[in-house]
Amino acid sequence: MKSDSWKPWALLGPSLTAVFFLLVIPVCFVVVYSFWLRAPSGNDIPAFQFGNYAKFFADFFYPSLLIRTIRVALETVLLCLVMGYIPAYFFYRTESSLKPFLMILIMLPFWISFIIRTLSWINILGDSGLINHVFLKIGLIDRPLAMLYNEAAVLMGLLQYLLPFMILNIYVSLDGIDKSLTEAAKSLGCTEWQAFKEVTLPLSLPGVSAGCLLVFVLTCGTYLPPMILGGPGNDMIANLIFKRIVGTLDWPFGSALSTILLGLLGVIVYTYNRYLGISQIFKTLQ
Amino acid sequence: MAKELEQQIDQMVDRYRNGKISRRDFMKYLGIAGAAAGLAGGPFGLARNAFAAKSITFHSWGGSTSEALRKYAFDPFTKATGIEVVDAAFTGMDAFLTQVKASYPPGGEFNLAHLSAVYDYARYTELGFGSVLDESKIPNLKNVIPKMTDTLRAISGGTLSAVPYDYGQTGIAYNSKHISKDKAEKLGASLLWDKDLKGKLGSWGGDFRTNMWYAALHTGQSPNNITDMDAVWNALREQRGMMKKYWASGSELMSLLANGEIYATVAWSGRVAALQKQGHPIGYLAPNNTYSWMEYMYVLKGTDMDVAQKLLNFMLEPDAAIAVALGQNYPPSLDPTKVSMPKDIEKLPAFDPTGKLDGYLFADPKYWNSHQVEWTEKWDRVKAGS
Amino acid sequence: MKLPSGWSLIRAYTILIYVWMFTPIVAVVLLSFNPQQFGSFPMEGFSFRWYFRLAGNATILGAFKNSIVLGSLTAVLTTAVGIPAAMAFVRYDFRGKDTLNTLLLAPIMIPEVVLGVALLLFIRWLQQPKSFVLLLIGHVVLTLPYVLLVVQARLVGIKKEYEEAAQTLGASPFQTFWSVTFPLLAPAIFAGMLFSFTISFDDVTATLFWATAHNQTVPVKIFGMLRNSISPEINALGTVMIVLTVSIPLFAGYISRRFARAAEK
Repeated sequence: MKSDSWKPWALLGPSLTAVFFLLVIPVCFVVVYSFWLRAPSGNDIPAFQFGNYAKFFADFFYPSLLIRTIRVALETVLLCLVMGYIPAYFFYRTESSLKPFLMILIMLPFWISFIIRTLSWINILGDSGLINHVFLKIGLIDRPLAMLYNEAAVLMGLLQYLLPFMILNIYVSLDGIDKSLTEAAKSLGCTEWQAFKEVTLPLSLPGVSAGCLLVFVLTCGTYLPPMILGGPGNDMIANLIFKRIVGTLDWPFGSALSTILLGLLGVIVYTYNRYLGISQIFKTLQ
Repeated sequence: MAKELEQQIDQMVDRYRNGKISRRDFMKYLGIAGAAAGLAGGPFGLARNAFAAKSITFHSWGGSTSEALRKYAFDPFTKATGIEVVDAAFTGMDAFLTQVKASYPPGGEFNLAHLSAVYDYARYTELGFGSVLDESKIPNLKNVIPKMTDTLRAISGGTLSAVPYDYGQTGIAYNSKHISKDKAEKLGASLLWDKDLKGKLGSWGGDFRTNMWYAALHTGQSPNNITDMDAVWNALREQRGMMKKYWASGSELMSLLANGEIYATVAWSGRVAALQKQGHPIGYLAPNNTYSWMEYMYVLKGTDMDVAQKLLNFMLEPDAAIAVALGQNYPPSLDPTKVSMPKDIEKLPAFDPTGKLDGYLFADPKYWNSHQVEWTEKWDRVKAGS
Repeated sequence: MKLPSGWSLIRAYTILIYVWMFTPIVAVVLLSFNPQQFGSFPMEGFSFRWYFRLAGNATILGAFKNSIVLGSLTAVLTTAVGIPAAMAFVRYDFRGKDTLNTLLLAPIMIPEVVLGVALLLFIRWLQQPKSFVLLLIGHVVLTLPYVLLVVQARLVGIKKEYEEAAQTLGASPFQTFWSVTFPLLAPAIFAGMLFSFTISFDDVTATLFWATAHNQTVPVKIFGMLRNSISPEINALGTVMIVLTVSIPLFAGYISRRFARAAEK
């Protein structure tokens, strides 16, 4: 095996090169900028000081945004899992000839721009949206229900965006499971449910794991659903970063915010990869 | 071969360290060397010559503005000069400034831009992106409302980096089915604090200025010189509790109003005009000292000035300016006493038939820009409920 | 194979999820036929107005072409780069594996605004102008994590013994990959390409910063329209795309069945 040690590096070469030049170096710029100062005109002044970080931790306002972001991300992961596993399992077991079609269908929402898709919820959940319109018409309610501009609406937008990732990740993993294994389990006297619990579920965990990670991380970095569907108190950390970098042209503070977020996510993802990640699950399976 | 190349690169590195060549040439060299050696070298340099054909870029909001300009200014300009106008969309004043700030080389990617607000003219100028127009090369500039050019001139030390193109207001839009005209006019800016409208109010969340401006009017202060800042913040805190949605875009503003989600909000006059044209029951209110602004065609440093000036002159042709104005519902910068305006322009909210713009209050760039960071941060907190 | 008990429940649940996922899409499709610009329900008529407008709108169609070209190139490049990387992570043990795995997932951990501006800072420091190649490689980096995750998840399910068996039978590593691993990996590769195409096609924030005036994509144009109002032409464009993506596979399936039947006769 010794002589093979160059192989993984050769396989990783192109990816690492691209990520190094387009991500690692630029991120170093961000870290450097986080110590700079903003001039009143919006220019950046090279410096080395911790004022931007001090500002973040000065009171509870900025950290609370970060905490809210993590909480919303966890909620999204949980909901995606609940909503996504069964459809993925359906794809795995179905013998319908429509299966490839249904698979393509799941990515179909992406053909409509994210902005338009998110805005579209307003036509459905709004005061004069579809649901309120129907409910008022049949006399179920006498005044429109306020369904928009709260955290639930933000979650709705996030789920609509992220669920396909969860479903496809789980499906791909399920699809790799040899179906004769469940048959074997059942011939040994397992019930359907036991066979699922003992064989299928554990074998699908790599996909679940990948899906959860993806959904979590993507939620932490998104700003459009809170911007369009959220109320004033539903902003997440990415909204703040966008406002500081683009709005006030405060690149130093925006960089400090990004560095903090990146550090936190880096720790989370690294720990995850280390203890719950794909390779770990793979090892326990063997 | 490989060794030779290596030596050449080493020599280049030495020369670069000694400051004999610029970073750009150095990168270019590395790019060529890399490509020659079959490495992943100069991916960023390759496409540069692809656009060697003569062209000038124009950034705007896209949509109806660029359609009108294409027809009445760009196509005639290209026909007359053979120079292509590449028009691109930007997504907002702030995002565009971010792009410009991060671009290289100056004037390479960004030439002309359709920018808004006087304080942004000051920002671009202060950041050193300004150019100096030779006004004698733009004969149509004589038709422009003098107050508009004077305002810009005062910021850039007597010269112009841009030609004013249109103007507008951020007034108050209200649903006339639910709010009577009398009531709106009686309350003025305080309509946005009317208790009856709890849960049916909107405001532009992305801009601290608009919100502070109206809070100043509501508390009886001059927007360009607020003395009792606490009163402003308290008013905004109070307003937050009655707010349905802080909108983030004109598109959202229009759909909120059109669908009856909100009954009153600060609003851009052009958006109100668009809603009125489609028959929605939306009234427009411009209280005393309404927040006014202008838009202008800014020429960024590094641009070929001869080409830019020629293009600006085409853009200031009355046909072009009026077509753009009708497309985006903001009155053109042309003086109505010198250029006759069609009926549809005269009906636009914020239109001034005298061409003097007396009583149009612009945001004082010095006052607002110097407090930008402080007030944005405060506004974010107030908006988030603290 | 017998379907599991409770299958009808599973199916009903899946259908419900589909209905929910497609509600906003259906709204967009319906409103593309609304003659009014600010559509809301109930609709006030039915017209193809926005489709005709779209057909004559060179700006949107040009941006659409840019999006398709960029998305396709991204899909091909990302999978070509991502599969070997996934192989390295799943099939080999080496120092720093966890760290590198985290690193390659980093593009989705960094908010796109930051990545967008940061890359521009680097390019400015190098004193290089932006170009299409930069945009393309940028998109490859952005979509790489999706491909890596999905391909790795599939690879761990493919037993190493298959590959080893092929190799003991005298196949070269490349032959092994091509005739054993690749077919087993196909669903993941397909999913990966689908992911990278759609992510690239739908990306706003980073593209906004990286695209030059010459290669702006549809989402960037839409973002620009937000200030005034988004034209329903965009809804029409989305509808056209959906019809195409749904009908092409159905049509292809129909044709191939026809041919198969003809061959049987």
